[in-house]
Amino acid sequence: MKKPDGKVVLLGDMNVGKTSLLHRYMERRFQDTVSTVGGAFYLKQWGPYNISIWDTAGREQFHGLGSMYCRGAAAVILTYDVNNLQSLIELEDRFLALTDTASSDCIFAIVGNKVDLTNEYALLLETEDENTREKPVTSCISTKVQKQVHLDDAVALYKKILKYKMLDEKDVPAAEKMCFETSAKTGYKVDYLFETVFDMVVPIILQQQAEGPSQTVDITSYKSAKRTKSGCCA
Amino acid sequence: MATGEPDSPAQEGMALSQEEDRLCPADTGGDKLSTGLEELPAPQSNGPMRSVDGQEEPSDKDLSDSASTDTALEDSSEFGRPLMVGACETGAAAVPPTRRDEDVTAASWRARRKHIFVLSEAGKPIYSRYGNEEALSSTMGVMMALVSFIQSGDNAIRSIYSDDRKLVFVQQGPLVLVSVSRTLQSEQQLRQELLYVYYQILSMLTQVSITRIFERKKNYDLRRLLAGSEKILDRLINLVESDPSFLLGAVRCLPLPASLREALGALLQKAITPNLVFSILVARSQLVTAVQERAVIEECRLEPTDLHLLLNLIGASSAFQAGEIWTPICLPRFNPDGYFYAYISYLDAECTVCLVLLSTDKESFYAVSDCKKRVEEAMRTQGSLQALSGGLQSPSYGVGQVGVPDLRHFLYKPLDIPENYRQLPQFTSPELEGPYCSEEEQHRLFDLYHYLHSRIHSTSRPLRLIYHVAEKETLLAWVTSKFELYTCFSPLVTKAGAINVLTKLLRWIKREEDRLFIRYPPKYSTTPNPGKGTKGGRPDNAENGFFAGL
Repeated sequence: MKKPDGKVVLLGDMNVGKTSLLHRYMERRFQDTVSTVGGAFYLKQWGPYNISIWDTAGREQFHGLGSMYCRGAAAVILTYDVNNLQSLIELEDRFLALTDTASSDCIFAIVGNKVDLTNEYALLLETEDENTREKPVTSCISTKVQKQVHLDDAVALYKKILKYKMLDEKDVPAAEKMCFETSAKTGYKVDYLFETVFDMVVPIILQQQAEGPSQTVDITSYKSAKRTKSGCCA
Repeated sequence: MATGEPDSPAQEGMALSQEEDRLCPADTGGDKLSTGLEELPAPQSNGPMRSVDGQEEPSDKDLSDSASTDTALEDSSEFGRPLMVGACETGAAAVPPTRRDEDVTAASWRARRKHIFVLSEAGKPIYSRYGNEEALSSTMGVMMALVSFIQSGDNAIRSIYSDDRKLVFVQQGPLVLVSVSRTLQSEQQLRQELLYVYYQILSMLTQVSITRIFERKKNYDLRRLLAGSEKILDRLINLVESDPSFLLGAVRCLPLPASLREALGALLQKAITPNLVFSILVARSQLVTAVQERAVIEECRLEPTDLHLLLNLIGASSAFQAGEIWTPICLPRFNPDGYFYAYISYLDAECTVCLVLLSTDKESFYAVSDCKKRVEEAMRTQGSLQALSGGLQSPSYGVGQVGVPDLRHFLYKPLDIPENYRQLPQFTSPELEGPYCSEEEQHRLFDLYHYLHSRIHSTSRPLRLIYHVAEKETLLAWVTSKFELYTCFSPLVTKAGAINVLTKLLRWIKREEDRLFIRYPPKYSTTPNPGKGTKGGRPDNAENGFFAGL
């Protein structure tokens, strides 16, 4: 069996489009999905490594499971809907605590999905040619809405996460680099998101492998990491 | 209280208070078995629902009474007859794009064939099949008022019969389920449907957690936990109405050569890991084979209801061939308070062949996923996936294969399964064809089956044989100690002809038995202490069963 080398988890409120993002990336198409139950596991070959991706259910019903899926994760992709401020707030209120079981050197990415629904989207397409596919803007302009969440809000959340995790901004990727805006429907920046995350996960995998078998180390490394940090603060 | 809803509930509430003795608190009838052939040239269909006045007892006894007094050969197509509220011609046509957005004040909403509501004891809306629950809070308030009113007299409301509708109430713990239906289904059948809905909710939340939530906070909004699950309930209710599995309480098997089924069973038997309890292979919602853990089934077997709910949940979730799902799920008939961990993965690109592995160990995803890889590998070397999907290309089988011209469709459920095999109840039926291609016609046929089923299983006056002449077809239902059989013939069949066809059909089924049913369900033993992972699961002596089974 191909053992996965690193783990990436998608977290976020229901209906923000986690499954659609993953589906766009893995199968290159957008499909109306229905609510995910529990979690779904995908394996992605990334260079010599097998990266496992857990797509989790955003429904509160499955909330208790989040920490199980997050155990030992090398990266957590926190997803919100740019047209729904509450979905960003939920990330901090409900989902951040689930990442306690993730690997101590876990990286965080914050993703605002569904930008295709906003009125800024056409503008985005013009300015960022290199990343856009030949996809035309399909839906008519009249349905566009004013974006509710801006990239700055995501950056602010990222900084809060660092504080929560007691991480120094100098030791982790910069907020601007880790906040994304995507559209699973058109494919806008979806590959960029996953590729950036995977590239960052590779060094963590290497480190985890150097430290020994993952399951046992996760707990100890997490604990020891915490201890040193509190030591720093004192 | 009922401000926005001028329709039935309020009115019937009034009728109710006059007729309180009509609400039978417990099931009355039941022990007198009427046997032998009862011939019914026509069922009641003119006034399918009794009016409130002048009826003594609303049990299904009275259904049969009115049936035997009616004489004329009547139009069974009236099953779907429009209702008196008016403006119902538009009912079917003007369906809003999504059911959730449906206008609950519109006549088309009221004209729906069957409504299903779920509410909490505090009267909080939890689910409505059509329309937004929020908009229905006052209606649901009225429903809860009815429930509490009867409750205050140390009684329980079971049903209300109006001119053309039945309202059936089921109370389960802190949840109240209500069905408002214009179908000809019996109260018992409607009650069963509501229980399916209840069990599906349990399959996602478990009974203990629901009880605990409402103990802590009486007016908790359960929609918080069920958000996103409406589609699962919607799908379930549609299935219950169109899939005989639910009516018969049995599982439909994919017709397969016995050798292939055995080979697949053997394959699942080998791909095991500790704490694995059920391995189920399904193709397009039909059972291919199911392997059960020995010790577990000594205590309790896999119920068809649990399997139906599980398959519905799978069918209602995103299906991608690349992904493997790992989710907690409760099998409410098996144990309403514990979770299994279900591993779900599709084996083919079209997502038709699905492997479901249930474990009691939350942490065993990788071990269980490895089992799937072994199954996949072995299937590849045996070429059984091709054989399986080859069988799926064509429709399962047509009634033509039986070789009797007058027969249009049938449902056959064998009852003579030796108990020691701990077999899942199964049934078989051919694909619907001929005049039953449109959804409307299928509904009509299914209504007839429902009617015959309710007569056979009536608590007050069960029948063994019914010969029923409907307008567009003739039906015959027959239950013996060996089988339960529902058949549908062309309308021109004679009684003698029908009996003749039955004999041929039974002979054909006997011959095809090995292909149509799982005869000897395979088992495996994965662990000597299977109780480990299930909360409040099996008693500790499960080990005895394990050794006895060897």
